[in-house]
Amino acid sequence: MTEGDEMYDDLDLSTRLAALEMRAPGTAQPPSLPGRRRRGRFAISMAMAPALVLAVVATSAGAAAVVSNLVRGYPGIQNAGQPLAGAHMECMSPPDAAAFLAAHGFTDVDWQIEGGDPNEKINGQDATTSVHQAVPPAHGFVVPGSILDDGSVIMIVDQRVGATGVGDCFGQPMP
Amino acid sequence: MTSIETTAAARTTRAAASKGDPDAFEAAVRPHYANLVRRLVLVLGDERDAEDIAQDAYLRAFRSWDRFDGTDVRAWLYTIALRLAFNHLRGRRRWLSAIGRVEPRTWSDPSDPDLWAALGALDARTRSALLLNIVDGYTQAEIGTMLSVPEGTVASWISRGRAALRRDLGRDR
Repeated sequence: MTEGDEMYDDLDLSTRLAALEMRAPGTAQPPSLPGRRRRGRFAISMAMAPALVLAVVATSAGAAAVVSNLVRGYPGIQNAGQPLAGAHMECMSPPDAAAFLAAHGFTDVDWQIEGGDPNEKINGQDATTSVHQAVPPAHGFVVPGSILDDGSVIMIVDQRVGATGVGDCFGQPMP
Repeated sequence: MTSIETTAAARTTRAAASKGDPDAFEAAVRPHYANLVRRLVLVLGDERDAEDIAQDAYLRAFRSWDRFDGTDVRAWLYTIALRLAFNHLRGRRRWLSAIGRVEPRTWSDPSDPDLWAALGALDARTRSALLLNIVDGYTQAEIGTMLSVPEGTVASWISRGRAALRRDLGRDR
């Protein structure tokens, strides 16, 4: 194995591990600190709860289906031997990643946008959202995806509160 | 400035200037909580245990807030939590051994089962070191400090862990 192969492997591993961690449950609330009451964090959002709950219900099933297809059976688009090996799209803004994909012939892209606050719960349910759209969002951390059988590409954009980015761009400001 | 240094600088907080302030603690630490729980799920393999350890780590961090050096709050929180997790695993293994049961792994990832299985086959310290290095970008020296082991030990864990993952994922060429 060459040094270049190891670099690509690490990038692939980094992306897969970051995606794996993103799917792990993380909606638990931190405990109340001693000597203080938890702030009323639902005071404003309760008015929007019905709409948000509907949004979560409407998107979660589709999101689960697509996420389940993201890695299994489909190598990452930046893997060694894949068309965009080593492209570092995780360091691009979503519009820049879209332009980069288009420049390489990938115009059929499904953008899966993860949003919301993982620390919030609405009626005891996870309040994060997952929506799909054909155009890239303006902001967010790109998690490079895979090329599916029909030639389309799926890309994840993490806009959640506390999102950190992946790979070489971990900890950088959200594009 | 290297990318790692840039990352470290981005992680830097002004926490040192707000010792003992619960609001400052929550503002600095809370954004890392959800990711901490996720990391602990990967390390412990058990969602309930991960939540318990994360809560314990959060409260311990609060009690130690005045001793935090103000540099990398994420690394500091993860250090507290991972040490608690390793202690918990030691206790759990002893207990399971005493009653003759095998280690349970109650969370599983249906989307990438090969990676989850390969990761689960590593011991918890190797798994933690790999995640801190490959996903978070911490150096081997930084990980050594976090896990209280020599840098060479971290290098060995990461090297063996990478090799095991490549082998288990069928990427050994």
